[in-house]
Amino acid sequence: MKEVLEGSHAVSEAVRLARAKVISAYPITPQTHIVEALSEYCANGSMDARFICVESEHSAMASCIGAASAGVRTFTASSSHGLALMHELLHWASGARLPIVMAEVNRALGPGWNIWMDQSDSLSQRDTGWIQLYCETGQEVLDTTLQAYRLAESVQLPVMVVLDAFFLSHTYEPVDIPDQQSVDTFLPTFKPRISLDQQNPNAIGQMAPPAYYMEMRHSIQMAMQSVLEHFIDIENAFEKIFARNYGPITPFACDDAECIFVMAGTSASTCRHAIKTMRDKGHKVGLLKLKMFRPFPYQHVRQCLKCAKKVIVLDRNCSFGAGGIFAQELRASMYASNNHPKIFSFISGLGGRDITVDHFFEMFDHTEKVEHPENDSVWIGLNNA
Amino acid sequence: MNQSNLSQSPDKVSLLISQSWTNTLGNKTGTWRFVRPKYQEKTAPCSHACPLGIDIAKVEMYASRKDYPNAYNTILMENPFPAICGRVCFHPCESACNRQFLDQSVAIHHIERYVGDWGLNNKHAQIDFPEFNGAQIGIIGAGPAGLSVAYFARRLGYRCDIFEQSNNSGGLLRSGIPAYRLPDRILNEELQRLNDDGIEFNFNQSMSMNQLKSLKQYQAVFLCCGDACSISLKIPGDTDAIDGLELLRQIRNHEAPTIEGTVAVIGGGNTAIDVSRSLLRLGAQPIIVYRRSRKEMPAHPHEVDAALDEGIELRECVSPISTEKNSNGYQVILQVMKPGEKTSEGRQAYIPDGNQKQTMQVNDVVSAIGAEKDIMWYNDQWDLSMSHCQMKIIDDLPVFWCGDLTTSEKTVTHAFASGKQAVIALDVLRNHSDTEMNTLCHQFQVGNGPAISFEIYRQGERKQRNNNKIVHFEQINTAYFPNIPAVEVNKNDQDACLKSFDEVISSFDESQMIEEASRCFNCGICNDCDTCRIFCPEMAIQWEQNNRHILMDYCKGCGICIAECPRDAMNLEVEP
Repeated sequence: MKEVLEGSHAVSEAVRLARAKVISAYPITPQTHIVEALSEYCANGSMDARFICVESEHSAMASCIGAASAGVRTFTASSSHGLALMHELLHWASGARLPIVMAEVNRALGPGWNIWMDQSDSLSQRDTGWIQLYCETGQEVLDTTLQAYRLAESVQLPVMVVLDAFFLSHTYEPVDIPDQQSVDTFLPTFKPRISLDQQNPNAIGQMAPPAYYMEMRHSIQMAMQSVLEHFIDIENAFEKIFARNYGPITPFACDDAECIFVMAGTSASTCRHAIKTMRDKGHKVGLLKLKMFRPFPYQHVRQCLKCAKKVIVLDRNCSFGAGGIFAQELRASMYASNNHPKIFSFISGLGGRDITVDHFFEMFDHTEKVEHPENDSVWIGLNNA
Repeated sequence: MNQSNLSQSPDKVSLLISQSWTNTLGNKTGTWRFVRPKYQEKTAPCSHACPLGIDIAKVEMYASRKDYPNAYNTILMENPFPAICGRVCFHPCESACNRQFLDQSVAIHHIERYVGDWGLNNKHAQIDFPEFNGAQIGIIGAGPAGLSVAYFARRLGYRCDIFEQSNNSGGLLRSGIPAYRLPDRILNEELQRLNDDGIEFNFNQSMSMNQLKSLKQYQAVFLCCGDACSISLKIPGDTDAIDGLELLRQIRNHEAPTIEGTVAVIGGGNTAIDVSRSLLRLGAQPIIVYRRSRKEMPAHPHEVDAALDEGIELRECVSPISTEKNSNGYQVILQVMKPGEKTSEGRQAYIPDGNQKQTMQVNDVVSAIGAEKDIMWYNDQWDLSMSHCQMKIIDDLPVFWCGDLTTSEKTVTHAFASGKQAVIALDVLRNHSDTEMNTLCHQFQVGNGPAISFEIYRQGERKQRNNNKIVHFEQINTAYFPNIPAVEVNKNDQDACLKSFDEVISSFDESQMIEEASRCFNCGICNDCDTCRIFCPEMAIQWEQNNRHILMDYCKGCGICIAECPRDAMNLEVEP
């Protein structure tokens, strides 16, 4: 059934349909609408779940870790400073191999105090062992959240579903909300491989000295390496029921493209408009929208970019002293391939600043003029200081 | 790692985590500790403020559990007559109650009254006194102080002989406090507690200073004769004024003369209030005449409020300078007063406001400006001087001045406290040298205050408490205490009350009492709430043999138990 939904509520609907059993969260703009709706579902009985109110995001994740250790499906949502406060426990969730699902609304960190779109918060957590899936539309948010549960439970790793602040979280779009029966078919009851058991008491996550620790870390990496394969299987299963598929990357007009834009999130929509105009002018340009960031889909990216001469990476983030983070990842992934394209790094749209069609023209023009990419990222859309 | 197990999943996806099926007993986290928790009970501010040092926090704990025998015995340890104190004490405990900083003080006196009445109604009035210790004491006066001396002395094995100049025991309890505050039945039943072979009452026997020498057979004598002499107005016509204290005694004994119409009751203390409220019940119209303003009245504010609520008129800032009998009764000339400078004690003095005069025509004049001790008991040379009693050795006989003869505040509770203190002082004197007196008595103090604990003196459980430490509101973990207003006692019908000497204030019923006692923070004492055990992250707190104890092999000294303890009954100490 199609409804006009806010991006935040697309998440809430998915969590309801996924029959999460424990939800624990602490409010923070622009995430709050997600858990607000869920708390109402818990209160009015439309969800059979326990909503645990906590005093901080650190405790929200701790509650999810406890609940997931007991073998139930859990959910939390956060953003920006809240996510940063969770950092310690994000490592614990993945190290304990708990299939927790979190909605992460991309928001800038202060100071200056800013509640708008920026990728710094989620990318600061890239090494915590969480799978990261970036979304572009309300429908993709809902579908990805459902897939996230099946993926997390298949590989025993936590998943972060990432959506842009306001551009997606607070934007209303028509979203097809699937019926419960179809979702139950796609996402059966969670059967944990490890959980606390009162009949056979055991402790999990205790001391692991040098003789043991490294193998556990290797196990996380092996599980991460299997994610792509599981994700594709899950998407295929999802497509059979719901007739939608996104892929770990979504190429647009890339087959003959000489220059390919790479980015994640809602700016991809704007970029497609720019590409149509540039194509009309005869430029062979395309778009690679990155959905999966962790694990990084090397093969898919290399395959998509192998014929391109130039790649333009748009980052709505900056690793200070090293530039755009997506650009660094792209360079690392392409370095091993022969005849890899030149990779140009652009930073724009930080702290919720708009990225317009003209900005994409500006990036493209820049690569036309310059033979070799600069060492440092080029900033687009700065006000004249 | 203790028998830990690396679970390698047979499934396709690698899953390797640390997991253990052994218990945590092998992990002796106690080795991490550099500070250690200790159960250390402390003194509640109410106990510190109570002249008798009653273990109120514990009484409320027992009362809230309906454990009346323990609640009752806990009070009786420090206070001979709970049903009396629950009615007439001005409860300084409630002014010190930590709960007032959260919402309202606990109504301690109502709970004491309920527990005291429970004892009377359930025939727990009698107490098992011990064997005689071979010593015998003489007590002059069967008022509150004398009765308290007899009670505590008998509890220590002394034989007691009481000499009372009237024909009955109770002193001011019987003759000075009106029945609407302390009914006869309660008084009589409470005094039955002293029915024992070891306590002999000798009525109609007055005693003078010279006669003390005839009491050589006693190991000590306790002077508990109170302020027996009313102070006269010292104005022209004052011999016509009725003595307020005598009037109260007559009313109580149903021998009062008929008093009708308007009556000027001169004074601002509790006697003036008691007289006025009694006269109102006899059908007269009392007017309280006081030379300072209402806020300087020495009477307890609750009592003043009650009198005004009943419709009694108060004329402030007027001082009678003469009364003259005329055909309609008396004409009283009043000097109008105004505030002057403060006295050296900080009290507001009042001085005549020029030559301004008022006259009032009344049917009778009652003088109720206070009482003083008989001149023969004046003394200022002491061999021992304590907060509630003083002692002088006269011809090798220790003589203790008790009650109103010596206490700064002349209340029933202070008189009870005085008797207790004097008895303990005697016992210490008999068993130790007098040079040890001050050090020893210091050990029995409740929270370093003036009150002395009989239980501590007798080496009871309370001795384990850190008595010098008083629990302040800041030490209470208020997360455990939601706001709950105090329970209001049911009001008796005022019109009916004013026509009789029936009790004005009613008692709690049981559910009200439990609700109110449950509001008590139980400051500084362990009430078995188990919060420490529940919160201990190492499960190092064990409950065995009706006692909590800390397994030091596992306690890592994190202090969570102490932070969580709602009532400051634990301490963190540096490792020895």
